[in-house]
Amino acid sequence: MMPIEPDLLIFSRLGLGLKGIILTLSAGAGGLGLVNLCQRRPFALAAMRVLAWVVAGLLVAGFLLIGWLNLRIYQRLPLKVPADLLYWLNQGLAAMNAREGTGYGLPLIDPAQPPRYILPLWIENGKYYFWFMAYALMILPAISRPVSHRLRGALVALLALQNAILFLLTDPFSRPLPKFFDEIGPWFSGTLDPLGRLGQFMRLYPRMLFYYNTPYMWLHPPLLFMSYAAITVTFVASLFMLAGRGRPEVEVLGYDYAKFGYFMLTLGMLLGYPWALEAWGPNWWWDPKICSSIMMWAIYSTYLHTRLYAHRKTMWYFTSGLGIVCFAAMIFTFITSFYFPGEHTGQ
Amino acid sequence: MASPQKTSYDFYLILFTVLVLAAISAICVYGMFYFKFAELSRMPLPVKNAYMERMNELVSPFIIALILTLAVCVPKRILPAVWLNRFSLALGLMSVLIAWRWGVVAALKIALCLTLGLQVVVLGLALAGSERLNFETKGYWLRLGSSCMHLGVVLFILDLFFYRHRGLHLVLFWVTTVSTVLGMTGCFYSSLLARRAGGLARRAKGEE
Repeated sequence: MMPIEPDLLIFSRLGLGLKGIILTLSAGAGGLGLVNLCQRRPFALAAMRVLAWVVAGLLVAGFLLIGWLNLRIYQRLPLKVPADLLYWLNQGLAAMNAREGTGYGLPLIDPAQPPRYILPLWIENGKYYFWFMAYALMILPAISRPVSHRLRGALVALLALQNAILFLLTDPFSRPLPKFFDEIGPWFSGTLDPLGRLGQFMRLYPRMLFYYNTPYMWLHPPLLFMSYAAITVTFVASLFMLAGRGRPEVEVLGYDYAKFGYFMLTLGMLLGYPWALEAWGPNWWWDPKICSSIMMWAIYSTYLHTRLYAHRKTMWYFTSGLGIVCFAAMIFTFITSFYFPGEHTGQ
Repeated sequence: MASPQKTSYDFYLILFTVLVLAAISAICVYGMFYFKFAELSRMPLPVKNAYMERMNELVSPFIIALILTLAVCVPKRILPAVWLNRFSLALGLMSVLIAWRWGVVAALKIALCLTLGLQVVVLGLALAGSERLNFETKGYWLRLGSSCMHLGVVLFILDLFFYRHRGLHLVLFWVTTVSTVLGMTGCFYSSLLARRAGGLARRAKGEE
């Protein structure tokens, strides 16, 4: 049994309770959203807004719970190397670092301070949680704006749909971090012989340093997920733009979120660049995920350029069409990690 | 929303940029599917390198077009239309001559360095609040932001030529990142910045 088991039990119990409340309130908010989307007149907008705020607040509470679990993992799961292996391990690491000569070597092990996991909050199912929580928080200012009740209803209905997908398909509470625990399971099982333990450590240690614990992990993915959330709002606004001209407030709403999303996307992509050099060297440039990200960035740049001329009739529709293509490109870029092989997927 | 009234040089440059970006996007999509169906992830390094070379060759005309567009976009801020046409013609001729004599990469590097120099001048003028700059949109912070952002793009493309020189490469990269972030802040949140700056100026005057 791993020393984290009691914490996992508390985490799952609290998380499942939270999940039930979020799903119930989301269904209520989504129902009101759908009514507003379909009706000519606004219906219980204030109640819909309050429900959306509560759902967003509860999602933040769940996020803090995920943070608590990661803190417990840091405290309870250090990779302690047995004294009989330590000398050989450090000898091996020193020789490997000297041979590589890249300047990105693996630090030697100090038995007083064993390596610990500093898990980011957006790995495995946590990434969907963060993405959809970012969306929930982002729509709060949008649904307080004086835009059409239908648009506000659509944004809230989408929030409910996302929460349903989140908890029914990718629930981070019922079985947290399955890949991570599968990875570290053998190390903590206590059944490995010394040689097996050495081999296992050399699988876990580089992955800990270059994937889980790297500072880039705290910048690159969350910035991209925030941009995904903002693109979703732009997408909804673009759909409403396509429905008819003469609604500048809808265009302004879409543009405001597009600006924020582009900011996050560009910064996130830029910050992935030195990380890729560090982790993979220079031979990654035409990796499928990079290709799809460049494509998405190019389409987004196009949207922002054409938007300057959105007051013209054809450009209005062209720009709104591009807002929809941006969203499609985002979905395509996201699923690239699952369908296409390459450095991002490790296939 | 900005509302430029007449069809301008900027409009056509933007349309051209859109076309180039669309072409680059299409090449990226082609690369993804080729990578998957040719099972390149399982191939030895020489095969992967050959694929990278092929993709570089495919995308290079469009990167060249983007660089030349930037090289026209930047001086249009400081030159009147007649001189801009002359400049574009001279740039095109110079690029062809240098490419013929010393190769395409040298021509691109020179075009980029020229663009970089001009962009620094534009940034200096924008920083000084010069009214002589030709922008589609008005506003001190917006112009400053746009100048920083375009400087970031020029530096990023220039940086791609130096990836083998790790020190220089990373320095250029961080300058690119800072310039891009400042540029996006100025471009996207110019009215907020103007309000804050105005408030600070009024408060300073009040204290005097």
